Amino acid sequence: MSINDLPGLTALRTRMQWHQERQRVLSENVANSDTPNFKPRDLIEPKFDTAGASAGGATGSLAMMRTSSSHIAPLDGGAQSFDENRKTGFETRPAGNSVNLEDEMLKVASNQMDYAAVTSLYSKSLHLLKTAIGKG
Amino acid sequence: MADRQVIADFARSMGIATSGLRAQAGRMRVISENIANADSTAATAGGDPYRRKVPTFSSELDRTLDAKVVSLGRIRPDQTAFRVKHEPGNPAADAAGNVKYPNVNPLIEMTDMRDAQRSYEANLNIISATRRMIQRTLDILKS
Repeated sequence: MSINDLPGLTALRTRMQWHQERQRVLSENVANSDTPNFKPRDLIEPKFDTAGASAGGATGSLAMMRTSSSHIAPLDGGAQSFDENRKTGFETRPAGNSVNLEDEMLKVASNQMDYAAVTSLYSKSLHLLKTAIGKG
Repeated sequence: MADRQVIADFARSMGIATSGLRAQAGRMRVISENIANADSTAATAGGDPYRRKVPTFSSELDRTLDAKVVSLGRIRPDQTAFRVKHEPGNPAADAAGNVKYPNVNPLIEMTDMRDAQRSYEANLNIISATRRMIQRTLDILKS
Protein backbone atom coordinates (compact mmCIF):
# COMPACT_ATOMS: atom_id res chain seq x y z
CA MET A 1 0.00 0.00 0.00
CA SER A 2 1.57 3.23 -1.09
CA ILE A 3 1.07 6.64 0.51
CA ASN A 4 -1.15 7.62 -2.40
CA ASP A 5 -3.75 5.02 -1.43
CA LEU A 6 -4.39 6.42 2.06
CA PRO A 7 -8.08 7.42 2.18
CA GLY A 8 -7.41 10.74 3.92
CA LEU A 9 -4.83 11.81 1.40
CA THR A 10 -6.96 10.64 -1.51
CA ALA A 11 -9.87 12.75 -0.27
CA LEU A 12 -7.59 15.77 0.14
CA ARG A 13 -6.16 15.33 -3.35
CA THR A 14 -9.61 15.05 -4.87
CA ARG A 15 -10.58 18.18 -3.02
CA MET A 16 -7.51 19.99 -4.37
CA GLN A 17 -8.42 18.95 -7.90
CA TRP A 18 -11.92 20.23 -7.33
CA HIS A 19 -10.58 23.62 -6.24
CA GLN A 20 -8.36 23.80 -9.32
CA GLU A 21 -11.26 23.00 -11.58
CA ARG A 22 -13.41 25.56 -9.78
CA GLN A 23 -10.71 28.18 -10.25
CA ARG A 24 -10.86 27.49 -13.98
CA VAL A 25 -14.65 27.82 -14.08
CA LEU A 26 -14.54 31.06 -12.06
CA SER A 27 -11.86 32.56 -14.30
CA GLU A 28 -14.08 31.72 -17.28
CA ASN A 29 -16.91 33.65 -15.62
CA VAL A 30 -14.74 36.69 -14.95
CA ALA A 31 -13.13 36.72 -18.40
CA ASN A 32 -16.59 36.61 -19.98
CA SER A 33 -18.09 39.26 -17.70
CA ASP A 34 -18.86 41.48 -20.72
CA THR A 35 -19.82 38.82 -23.25
CA PRO A 36 -23.46 39.04 -24.36
CA ASN A 37 -25.69 36.11 -23.38
CA PHE A 38 -23.09 34.56 -21.10
CA LYS A 39 -24.39 32.78 -18.01
CA PRO A 40 -21.97 32.23 -15.10
CA ARG A 41 -21.34 28.68 -13.92
CA ASP A 42 -20.02 27.08 -10.78
CA LEU A 43 -19.07 23.56 -9.72
CA ILE A 44 -21.14 21.57 -7.27
CA GLU A 45 -19.43 20.48 -4.06
CA PRO A 46 -17.75 17.07 -4.15
CA LYS A 47 -19.17 14.36 -1.90
CA PHE A 48 -17.02 11.72 -0.27
CA ASP A 49 -17.89 8.22 0.86
CA THR A 50 -16.46 6.73 4.07
CA ALA A 51 -13.38 5.38 2.29
CA GLY A 52 -12.42 8.89 1.29
CA ALA A 53 -13.04 8.34 -2.39
CA SER A 54 -15.29 10.79 -4.12
CA ALA A 55 -18.75 9.37 -4.67
CA GLY A 56 -18.75 9.48 -8.44
CA GLY A 57 -15.14 8.75 -9.36
CA ALA A 58 -13.11 11.62 -10.74
CA THR A 59 -14.04 15.22 -10.08
CA GLY A 60 -15.78 16.99 -12.91
CA SER A 61 -18.12 14.09 -13.50
CA LEU A 62 -19.67 13.47 -10.11
CA ALA A 63 -22.49 11.00 -10.51
CA MET A 64 -25.90 11.11 -8.88
CA MET A 65 -26.11 9.09 -5.66
CA ARG A 66 -28.79 6.47 -5.09
CA THR A 67 -29.57 6.50 -1.40
CA SER A 68 -32.35 3.93 -1.66
CA SER A 69 -32.80 0.96 -3.95
CA SER A 70 -36.37 2.02 -4.65
CA HIS A 71 -35.14 5.15 -6.44
CA ILE A 72 -35.05 5.23 -10.19
CA ALA A 73 -31.48 4.67 -11.37
CA PRO A 74 -29.92 7.77 -12.95
CA LEU A 75 -29.43 7.69 -16.68
CA ASP A 76 -25.94 7.52 -18.10
CA GLY A 77 -24.60 10.97 -18.86
CA GLY A 78 -27.06 12.53 -16.48
CA ALA A 79 -24.24 13.40 -14.11
CA GLN A 80 -24.59 17.04 -13.16
CA SER A 81 -21.19 18.53 -12.40
CA PHE A 82 -22.00 22.14 -13.09
CA ASP A 83 -24.11 24.28 -10.86
CA GLU A 84 -25.67 26.71 -13.27
CA ASN A 85 -26.13 29.14 -10.41
CA ARG A 86 -29.70 30.25 -10.99
CA LYS A 87 -29.73 32.30 -7.80
CA THR A 88 -28.15 35.31 -9.46
CA GLY A 89 -30.33 35.02 -12.55
CA PHE A 90 -32.39 38.04 -11.59
CA GLU A 91 -29.41 40.29 -12.19
CA THR A 92 -29.28 39.68 -15.92
CA ARG A 93 -28.23 42.80 -17.78
CA PRO A 94 -29.95 43.91 -20.99
CA ALA A 95 -27.26 42.18 -23.08
CA GLY A 96 -28.23 38.84 -21.50
CA ASN A 97 -25.12 38.62 -19.33
CA SER A 98 -25.64 37.74 -15.67
CA VAL A 99 -22.07 37.72 -14.32
CA ASN A 100 -21.81 39.60 -11.04
CA LEU A 101 -18.15 40.57 -10.59
CA GLU A 102 -18.42 41.08 -6.82
CA ASP A 103 -19.96 37.66 -6.43
CA GLU A 104 -17.23 36.05 -8.52
CA MET A 105 -14.46 37.83 -6.58
CA LEU A 106 -15.98 36.54 -3.37
CA LYS A 107 -16.02 33.01 -4.74
CA VAL A 108 -12.42 33.27 -5.95
CA ALA A 109 -11.28 34.48 -2.53
CA SER A 110 -13.09 31.68 -0.71
CA ASN A 111 -11.84 29.11 -3.24
CA GLN A 112 -8.30 30.29 -2.65
CA MET A 113 -8.67 30.19 1.14
CA ASP A 114 -10.19 26.70 1.07
CA TYR A 115 -7.39 25.54 -1.18
CA ALA A 116 -4.84 26.91 1.29
CA ALA A 117 -6.62 25.03 4.07
CA VAL A 118 -6.56 21.77 2.10
CA THR A 119 -2.88 22.08 1.18
CA SER A 120 -1.88 22.77 4.77
CA LEU A 121 -3.97 19.78 5.90
CA TYR A 122 -2.17 17.70 3.29
CA SER A 123 1.28 18.75 4.48
CA LYS A 124 0.20 18.20 8.09
CA SER A 125 -0.87 14.64 7.19
CA LEU A 126 2.48 14.03 5.55
CA HIS A 127 4.15 15.40 8.66
CA LEU A 128 2.16 12.98 10.83
CA LEU A 129 3.37 10.10 8.67
CA LYS A 130 6.95 11.31 9.04
CA THR A 131 6.52 11.40 12.81
CA ALA A 132 5.14 7.85 12.73
CA ILE A 133 8.16 6.51 10.88
CA GLY A 134 10.45 8.40 13.23
CA LYS A 135 11.85 11.10 11.01
CA GLY A 136 9.79 13.97 12.28
CA MET B 1 -3.53 10.07 -12.86
CA ALA B 2 -4.86 13.58 -13.15
CA ASP B 3 -2.83 15.11 -10.35
CA ARG B 4 0.24 15.24 -12.57
CA GLN B 5 -1.43 18.15 -14.32
CA VAL B 6 -1.70 20.33 -11.24
CA ILE B 7 0.27 23.21 -12.69
CA ALA B 8 -1.21 22.70 -16.16
CA ASP B 9 -4.70 23.11 -14.67
CA PHE B 10 -3.73 26.38 -13.04
CA ALA B 11 -2.07 27.46 -16.28
CA ARG B 12 -5.47 27.10 -17.92
CA SER B 13 -7.03 29.46 -15.37
CA MET B 14 -4.22 31.91 -16.06
CA GLY B 15 -4.76 31.57 -19.83
CA ILE B 16 -8.46 32.33 -19.50
CA ALA B 17 -7.78 35.38 -17.31
CA THR B 18 -5.16 36.55 -19.81
CA SER B 19 -7.73 36.38 -22.62
CA GLY B 20 -9.92 38.63 -20.47
CA LEU B 21 -7.06 41.08 -19.97
CA ARG B 22 -6.39 41.17 -23.71
CA ALA B 23 -10.05 41.77 -24.55
CA GLN B 24 -10.40 44.58 -22.00
CA ALA B 25 -7.16 46.20 -23.19
CA GLY B 26 -8.52 46.14 -26.76
CA ARG B 27 -11.72 47.73 -25.49
CA MET B 28 -9.66 50.48 -23.79
CA ARG B 29 -7.93 51.11 -27.12
CA VAL B 30 -11.26 51.62 -28.88
CA ILE B 31 -12.51 53.90 -26.09
CA SER B 32 -9.39 56.05 -26.19
CA GLU B 33 -9.77 56.30 -29.98
CA ASN B 34 -13.32 57.57 -29.47
CA ILE B 35 -12.31 60.11 -26.83
CA ALA B 36 -9.35 61.36 -28.85
CA ASN B 37 -11.56 61.89 -31.90
CA ALA B 38 -14.48 63.44 -30.00
CA ASP B 39 -14.12 66.67 -32.02
CA SER B 40 -12.67 65.40 -35.32
CA THR B 41 -14.70 67.00 -38.10
CA ALA B 42 -14.63 66.02 -41.78
CA ALA B 43 -11.66 66.99 -43.97
CA THR B 44 -13.95 68.19 -46.77
CA ALA B 45 -16.81 70.68 -46.59
CA GLY B 46 -20.12 68.95 -45.75
CA GLY B 47 -18.47 65.51 -45.27
CA ASP B 48 -19.06 62.99 -42.50
CA PRO B 49 -16.93 63.36 -39.33
CA TYR B 50 -15.42 60.56 -37.19
CA ARG B 51 -18.00 57.88 -36.38
CA ARG B 52 -17.95 56.38 -32.89
CA LYS B 53 -16.69 52.76 -32.71
CA VAL B 54 -18.24 50.10 -30.51
CA PRO B 55 -16.19 47.09 -29.35
CA THR B 56 -17.99 43.73 -29.19
CA PHE B 57 -17.09 40.66 -27.16
CA SER B 58 -17.64 37.04 -27.96
CA SER B 59 -17.04 33.86 -26.04
CA GLU B 60 -15.21 31.17 -27.95
CA LEU B 61 -13.83 27.71 -27.20
CA ASP B 62 -10.05 27.68 -27.11
CA ARG B 63 -9.03 24.15 -28.13
CA THR B 64 -5.56 24.17 -26.59
CA LEU B 65 -6.92 25.40 -23.24
CA ASP B 66 -10.22 23.49 -23.60
CA ALA B 67 -12.05 26.40 -22.04
CA LYS B 68 -14.34 29.26 -22.99
CA VAL B 69 -12.08 32.25 -23.49
CA VAL B 70 -13.24 35.74 -24.40
CA SER B 71 -12.15 37.55 -27.53
CA LEU B 72 -12.68 41.01 -28.92
CA GLY B 73 -15.02 40.55 -31.86
CA ARG B 74 -15.58 42.91 -34.76
CA ILE B 75 -15.44 46.61 -33.96
CA ARG B 76 -18.69 48.07 -35.23
CA PRO B 77 -19.61 51.65 -36.10
CA ASP B 78 -22.21 53.42 -33.97
CA GLN B 79 -25.13 54.33 -36.24
CA THR B 80 -26.62 57.13 -34.13
CA ALA B 81 -26.93 60.59 -35.69
CA PHE B 82 -24.10 63.12 -35.66
CA ARG B 83 -24.29 66.29 -33.61
CA VAL B 84 -24.98 69.24 -35.91
CA LYS B 85 -23.87 72.79 -35.08
CA HIS B 86 -24.35 75.99 -37.05
CA GLU B 87 -20.83 77.33 -37.70
CA PRO B 88 -20.66 79.09 -41.11
CA GLY B 89 -16.99 80.03 -40.59
CA ASN B 90 -15.85 76.42 -40.11
CA PRO B 91 -14.00 74.93 -43.13
CA ALA B 92 -16.00 71.69 -42.71
CA ALA B 93 -19.37 73.50 -42.93
CA ASP B 94 -21.81 72.59 -45.72
CA ALA B 95 -23.63 75.06 -47.96
CA ALA B 96 -26.14 75.91 -45.21
CA GLY B 97 -23.35 76.62 -42.70
CA ASN B 98 -23.93 73.48 -40.60
CA VAL B 99 -21.04 71.38 -39.30
CA LYS B 100 -21.44 67.70 -38.35
CA TYR B 101 -19.59 66.70 -35.20
CA PRO B 102 -18.84 63.08 -34.17
CA ASN B 103 -21.54 61.10 -32.33
CA VAL B 104 -19.19 60.63 -29.36
CA ASN B 105 -20.54 61.40 -25.89
CA PRO B 106 -17.58 61.84 -23.51
CA LEU B 107 -19.75 60.91 -20.53
CA ILE B 108 -20.62 57.51 -22.05
CA GLU B 109 -16.98 56.90 -22.97
CA MET B 110 -15.84 57.67 -19.42
CA THR B 111 -18.42 55.29 -17.95
CA ASP B 112 -17.35 52.63 -20.42
CA MET B 113 -13.73 53.20 -19.50
CA ARG B 114 -14.45 52.69 -15.82
CA ASP B 115 -16.28 49.48 -16.66
CA ALA B 116 -13.31 48.22 -18.71
CA GLN B 117 -10.97 49.14 -15.88
CA ARG B 118 -13.06 47.24 -13.37
CA SER B 119 -13.17 44.11 -15.51
CA TYR B 120 -9.43 44.37 -16.11
CA GLU B 121 -8.79 44.52 -12.37
CA ALA B 122 -11.07 41.52 -11.79
CA ASN B 123 -9.02 39.47 -14.26
CA LEU B 124 -5.79 40.58 -12.60
CA ASN B 125 -7.27 39.49 -9.29
CA ILE B 126 -7.91 36.01 -10.73
CA ILE B 127 -4.29 35.78 -11.85
CA SER B 128 -2.91 36.73 -8.45
CA ALA B 129 -5.31 34.34 -6.67
CA THR B 130 -4.21 31.52 -8.99
CA ARG B 131 -0.56 32.37 -8.37
CA ARG B 132 -1.11 32.17 -4.62
CA MET B 133 -2.73 28.76 -5.08
CA ILE B 134 0.25 27.51 -7.10
CA GLN B 135 2.51 28.80 -4.35
CA ARG B 136 0.52 26.82 -1.79
CA THR B 137 0.98 23.65 -3.86
CA LEU B 138 4.72 24.22 -4.05
CA ASP B 139 4.79 24.83 -0.28
CA ILE B 140 3.79 21.17 0.30
CA LEU B 141 7.22 20.24 -0.99
CA LYS B 142 8.93 22.47 1.55
CA SER B 143 7.35 20.98 4.65
